[in-house]
Order: sequence, then structure tokens, then C-alpha cells
Amino acid sequence: MDRWCRQWNRERGGIFSLQQGWDLARLWYADRLSPKWRPFNAQEAQAIFAQVGLTSDFWSLG
Amino acid sequence: MASVPEQADFDNSLRLYTYRRMVETGRAPAVATAAKEMGSNEAAVRAAYARLSESHAFMLTESGELWRLAPFSAVPTAFPVESSGRTYYANCIWDALGIPAMLGQDATIPTSCACCNLEMSLQVEAGSLLPHEGLIHVGVSARRWYEDVVFT
Repeated sequence: MDRWCRQWNRERGGIFSLQQGWDLARLWYADRLSPKWRPFNAQEAQAIFAQVGLTSDFWSLG
Repeated sequence: MASVPEQADFDNSLRLYTYRRMVETGRAPAVATAAKEMGSNEAAVRAAYARLSESHAFMLTESGELWRLAPFSAVPTAFPVESSGRTYYANCIWDALGIPAMLGQDATIPTSCACCNLEMSLQVEAGSLLPHEGLIHVGVSARRWYEDVVFT
């Protein structure tokens, strides 16, 4: 990952596993077809990140 | 002029209609098509899509057509998702995983590693992501995602 960031002159961002990505996708999108769906507020979104272990400042919405 | 509750009902009906069309056809409806099939008019549909875009769930092109209806991309991308005999597209790997999560269907995501360009095909089966080597890198911090969504 560091090699890729150097190669493309990008800062190292947030890194997580594919399983965390799948867990995040399910929490974020599973109810999107529900008539009762509404957008998450920042607090709810932050709680979802925390549920899959994304708790560093990189994931802060505040 | 529609009342706020009527407007909210229309927005939600349009949102569900748009997702249903995307799921059934693999394509986002054009504004004109949505207006016709919703029994509405283009101005009302454009205004509703603009309101639905305030949460970034939907995003529009400069001409007012759909560009993104999360987790779907309305235009082809490097993140195809094959499910139920159709090919959908997503804007990133998180959204690509979001499509089978949303549909509750098995899927294949035949993408490639951003580092080395080698094929990287992910499989979702029976509600689980099959094990695969790899990591997800998000280059833009969460609070800045919507400053430039295309870059993010």
C-alpha cells in the first residue's frame, strides 16, 4: 500500500479488509429499497463506521 | 403547489421507482422516462431528483440526468457487478459490495487490483463475501468525501 501511495503521490488514507468492506456495505445499503429508508445523519453514519471497526480520525465526520 | 408531505411522498415514490427500474433493467431511467412512467412532468422529476441529491444518495450530471443512485452508478465504471443475469456498475468497491447487499442476491464483482491491475474477482454467495486476498484503500477522509465525489 505504501509503495502504491508513493507511486501515485497519494497520502495513505483509510485501509480496511474486504470483510470489513462487506460488513460496511450491508449496514449501509441493506435497507435502501425499503419505503421507510431515510438518509443516515452524521451520528448514525459514525456509529456504522464504528460497528465495523473504523474508528480513527480518518473516519470522523465531525 | 404541492404541500411538503405531498412532496416528500412524491420524492419517495420516485426514489423507489428509480431503484426498481435500475434493478430490473440495469439502467437508470432518463428524466423524461421517469416523468412519463410516474404520470408526472419533467420539471417535477428534476426538482425531486435535486432534492434527493441533497443527501448524496442520488447525484446528477450537469444536464440533470442521474449519474449515481447509490450504490449504483448510472454510467459504466471499473466496478461492474454481475447479479441475476444483469450487469450493474458501481463507483467504488464499497458501492460494488453494496449492490448484492442491497439486492440480497449472489453476485460476482470482476474488478481489478488498483495496485497491480491484476484481475480481482470477488464473489458474494448466500449473504457472505467469499474469502479473497486484498485490502480496500479510501484515499479521502470521511469528512471530505463529498467535496469531490468523482475523485473520492
